[in-house]
Amino acid sequence: MRPLSLLCELTYRCNLQCPYCYNPLALQAYRDELPTAQWIAVLEEAAGLGVVQAHFSGGEPTLRRDLDALVGAASRSGLYTNLITQGTFLDDALLDELIANGLDHVQISIQAPEAKLAERIAGTDVHEKKLDALRRVSRRPVALTLNCVLHRLNHDTIEEVIAFAEGLQITRLELANVQFYGWAYRNRAALMPTLGQVRRGEEVVAAARERLRGAMEIIYVLPDYFGEFPKPCMNGWGTQFMTVTPNGYVLPCPAAAAIRDLKFENVRDRALGEIWHHSESFSRYRGTHWMPEPCRSCERREIDWGGCRCQAFLLTGDAAATDPACSLSADHHIVTSLREGAEETELVARRA
Amino acid sequence: MNLTATPRFGKGVKLRHDADGSMMLLVPEGALVLNPPAAAALELIDGRRTLEEIIAAVVERFDVAPQCAQDDLGDLFDRLSQRGFLT
Repeated sequence: MRPLSLLCELTYRCNLQCPYCYNPLALQAYRDELPTAQWIAVLEEAAGLGVVQAHFSGGEPTLRRDLDALVGAASRSGLYTNLITQGTFLDDALLDELIANGLDHVQISIQAPEAKLAERIAGTDVHEKKLDALRRVSRRPVALTLNCVLHRLNHDTIEEVIAFAEGLQITRLELANVQFYGWAYRNRAALMPTLGQVRRGEEVVAAARERLRGAMEIIYVLPDYFGEFPKPCMNGWGTQFMTVTPNGYVLPCPAAAAIRDLKFENVRDRALGEIWHHSESFSRYRGTHWMPEPCRSCERREIDWGGCRCQAFLLTGDAAATDPACSLSADHHIVTSLREGAEETELVARRA
Repeated sequence: MNLTATPRFGKGVKLRHDADGSMMLLVPEGALVLNPPAAAALELIDGRRTLEEIIAAVVERFDVAPQCAQDDLGDLFDRLSQRGFLT
């Protein structure tokens, strides 16, 4: 089995305070960041294992001064390079440096289609800076995706987000409903969209897709708590994806650190390939052997892979349980009551 | 996509050759595994060759029925261009 994708969470430092962030609450525990040489070794080893894509994320990855060197190392190893950023530090000099080092794709997130709401969500006024960054990337020979994470506060602005993207001639727009991990899990009651918002969102997206066919690809990730079946998280645990945290832990899923009874290993102690092939953390939920009923005998077991292990742990305390997002789960009432009972709650800003 | 179109790759789209001879199309945040005729067709994209010329070259090389190649490759090129991977 070959990993295809490596998510490099270079740092959890960030100048924004978005309450929907999936980063862990204990941000201070990750300040001992891997040095440049160790990240380069990780990237080279990943390429040797068969990885084809490297994603540089965080936190805010452009806060790492060595980002250009890391993109260069990934690119020279034959990896396709994605930068996932909020864009506020992406000036001409940095962008040109990254492109010269082989950067293939930039994803820039906005919090809302206009400055006031964006500031309310991000906790700081950076909307104009993001606009500048988007224009800067559009003019250059690198692919661009505009991303907006959707939740109750901005869900009614989907139409405006699409118009905003059209105005910038964006060809790829990702509308990602918030996933409830880390800070977003902490804030889930306040972030949960209403059923009405979700249904209207689907209609708006369907109409826009029709109208913009061939001009803009719109990726709309349905909110997990609203579907009949769970998302096939990571296309199966330990099947394609690896995440390396800022301090070197290797996770089968970016949210996996939440599973407290699973011990994760660190690239400072063990080779990446060893961790991928032989660690307890990657083996435990790989395939279907670990599944309880109703997953074990379900005809969708190799479609959904039991859903998300992290979500199962967060909601039931047992990472081996069927994801409660599945309508067949004995714990599905947890999700339906969260969905229905979502009430106005104060947001807690993400901060170290 | 019209048979007389001269496709080229969109930004951030590239072919990857693996040591075992297999090929993938790498796109923003994704990878498409290609069968040998599809890989051969995409390898011929240079912004000058027409879709018709590309299909003809694949038919010659793989001994497939022309209509079959035209349907399959036409469909592939349509899907890729709808997603902005070909322009």
